[in-house]
Amino acid sequence: MSTFVLRRLLYLAPVWVGISFLAFVLATLAPGDPARMSAQELAGRPPTPVEIAAERERLGLNAPFPVRYVRWLANAARGDFGLSYRSGQPVTAALLQRLPSTLQLAAAATLLAMILALPLGVLGAIRRNSPVDHVTRAVAMAGASMPSYWLAYLLILVFSVRLHWLPVSGRGTWQHLVLPAVALGLGSAAVLMRLTRAELLETLNQDYVQTGRAKGLSEGRVVVGHALRNALIPVVTMTGIQFGSLLGGAAIVETVFAWPGIGKFLVDSISARDYPVIQGFVIVAGTAFLLVNLAVDVAYAWLDPRIRLAAAS
Amino acid sequence: MYSFTHLSGARRTIHRRRLLHLTFAGGAALTIAALPRAARTTRAAEGELVVANPGVNFRTEPDRASIGIYPLNTNIFEGLVRLGEDYQVEPMLAESWEFVAPNTWRFTLREGVTFHDGTPFTAAAVAWSMGRVARAGGGIVGVDENSTVVIDDYTVEITPAKPNMRFLEKLAHPSAGSVVAPDTDPATARVGTGPFREVSYIPEDSYVVEANPDYWGEAPQVGRITWRFIPDPTTRVLALQAGEVNLVNEVPRESVADVEGSGFQVLRSPVGAYSALYFNIHGAAPYDLGQDPAIREAVAAAISKEAIVSGVWLDNAEVGVSMIPPAILGSAGESIAGVAYVPERAAEILDEAGWVAGDSGVREKDGRPLKLTLISGFPSASAHGAMPELVQAQLREVGIDVEIVTTEDTATYEARLQTGEGDLWAEAGSQNDGDPCFLPDLLFSSPQEGGDAEANMYGNAFAPGPEYDALIATCRAAPTVPEVQDAAAAAVRFLIDGEQVVIPIAGLTRIYAATPAVTGFVPHPSGLSQRWTTVAVAE
Repeated sequence: MSTFVLRRLLYLAPVWVGISFLAFVLATLAPGDPARMSAQELAGRPPTPVEIAAERERLGLNAPFPVRYVRWLANAARGDFGLSYRSGQPVTAALLQRLPSTLQLAAAATLLAMILALPLGVLGAIRRNSPVDHVTRAVAMAGASMPSYWLAYLLILVFSVRLHWLPVSGRGTWQHLVLPAVALGLGSAAVLMRLTRAELLETLNQDYVQTGRAKGLSEGRVVVGHALRNALIPVVTMTGIQFGSLLGGAAIVETVFAWPGIGKFLVDSISARDYPVIQGFVIVAGTAFLLVNLAVDVAYAWLDPRIRLAAAS
Repeated sequence: MYSFTHLSGARRTIHRRRLLHLTFAGGAALTIAALPRAARTTRAAEGELVVANPGVNFRTEPDRASIGIYPLNTNIFEGLVRLGEDYQVEPMLAESWEFVAPNTWRFTLREGVTFHDGTPFTAAAVAWSMGRVARAGGGIVGVDENSTVVIDDYTVEITPAKPNMRFLEKLAHPSAGSVVAPDTDPATARVGTGPFREVSYIPEDSYVVEANPDYWGEAPQVGRITWRFIPDPTTRVLALQAGEVNLVNEVPRESVADVEGSGFQVLRSPVGAYSALYFNIHGAAPYDLGQDPAIREAVAAAISKEAIVSGVWLDNAEVGVSMIPPAILGSAGESIAGVAYVPERAAEILDEAGWVAGDSGVREKDGRPLKLTLISGFPSASAHGAMPELVQAQLREVGIDVEIVTTEDTATYEARLQTGEGDLWAEAGSQNDGDPCFLPDLLFSSPQEGGDAEANMYGNAFAPGPEYDALIATCRAAPTVPEVQDAAAAAVRFLIDGEQVVIPIAGLTRIYAATPAVTGFVPHPSGLSQRWTTVAVAE
């Protein structure tokens, strides 16, 4: 097993360098001049050619591409992604400052999605084609097709403007978290609910479930104790995928609710050609993705000896 | 229950249910643990003004830090001079000034002023503050380490590194002229002389200031101001309707009628920004149609600015006169006539130029259709609303086909401008200092020799040539306010009335919304110079 993990870790190194190279190249190839954008931020109006040239020199953009890449890679390996062109703030600090907000929102949305999806999915499966099933499927369809920004405005109108139950925007208390989590989580809930229902329906037709019933187990025990356990494996996998997509896809909800997360920060940085921030984000996100995949690989190998043995051979 | 073989080979039992519980518990713990301990009050306290403000990006590095100054002016800092609501330069920390030829300004400073930490305001603070600007590259005022000379405690001379007759007007920009306490930097501490002093600044959340009890000037009418950073304009309005804020900055024009109908005030500044079309007059085929003066004049005459102001800006703008605010030109601005909307005249001009209607209704000449490409994207396509589409429809009426190209953002727009691939370029911008020559100079002066495509992108596309450059030279060198206004107006007339390089569409105002309890707020056309001392909140 240790050989398997070590081999996987060694695979990661070239992939990580590849990610870093792509991050650097793609950001550099994007149209637009960061020196000009930075000079404009500084001057508060369109910059003159002299100001742009001075800013290009200050940002080190006059150095050849390979020199800039190697210099940046060496710093990135130490966790130093440089300074934001727009604000002058260290990129690492800027990312770390915002990451907890986005993690918190994504975690809350995922929790909410699971809390809604599992019971409703089970209900839809055990009451298949009943009015309850039709209603839950319709709700799931609505949840999956509703744009998150539209839902966000609707929630604010009802719960903040009309009822005054929850704050409109910002981050501070648990009340601030409710509406963004609902706006973000409802779409995931719909996906997970439909998956739970479909998987459970398939599992309920398995022979071992029939055997359980034949042995006189209660229906509740059959469904919850046996069928649901197996049906949940793809649901848990999908939950992980949904969590990952929420991390990267929360920009719109973050903007509507003035949630100080990483999504809007990244979008603004892309518009401003703030290369250090874009590159830092890609590296952080890419590293996280690699580590999660490593964990999944290890977990699969741990769970399934066939994978471990195949890798060893 | 399932069992798995552990890495060490020992047997270990894991319940799936337990795993599921752990997942839930972990997620919940992450969610709860990440919640900050302090709860924020969402309602304004008595005597407090809470402003819903767009998100801001302050620079944070020493010498360049703009926290509390730009793009949100919290009135913690003041300059030697200030930009008035009429775009004229007014005294602030300098009581008076005089120009000492050839390139020096001597300021007499206000006495009896102290910084928020009790340090007296003297010429040393001005030298320190100008030194910051110099260390950051000189800024828009173009100073260096030797520019500022302290004559005595209340007299200081500033000599820009290069001759700059527009120094005073540029000094009115808060990013160039803000005076900070000696040996301090806004990167770490915000110590100014202004009517408000800092209480807290939480990036991407809020900025809180309180009234300075020792302020030298008119005392603030509110004890505390909180700017809450809400980037989404619709959410800002909803925050007002929910009672969480009592003033909203940058109300979307689409929401104005709804806000007014809900019993809130809508407050508008004088014109400080513009939306305009610039004609590429040096393009290569197929973007060379702008070289023809007849086509430029016809296009200008075929566009109904009134219809666009009404249809796109929902009458929350003024018909465009110029690409700089009319007020900055004083009475000289009245000499700019603009091209009236007379579509029949546009058709006549095109007929005379040999452009005849083809089968599709689009005019042709020598087999070439009269088709223009309009690029929209500065500073963003959304800044122009549906203006390009209305222009497209209006020009179609006189037989001109328009293709609209929308660029993703400013950078993409500028990259395209460098290639010159476009005939009409939609731009929106604002005037934030008192220099009326700046935009006419920057955007329309001839390309610099040896400059690359980026440095010369505006000149390569829009510069009318030596005659115009001479007007700009006069504008740069004008010694008095009336003279600079006359010179700037002459340059703008050349662009709009003479050559139709610029087609001004709309003069844009800053729009605020407030609860009825808010009084005394005077919106500044340049948000950067907004004063907050006069605003009050009734109990």
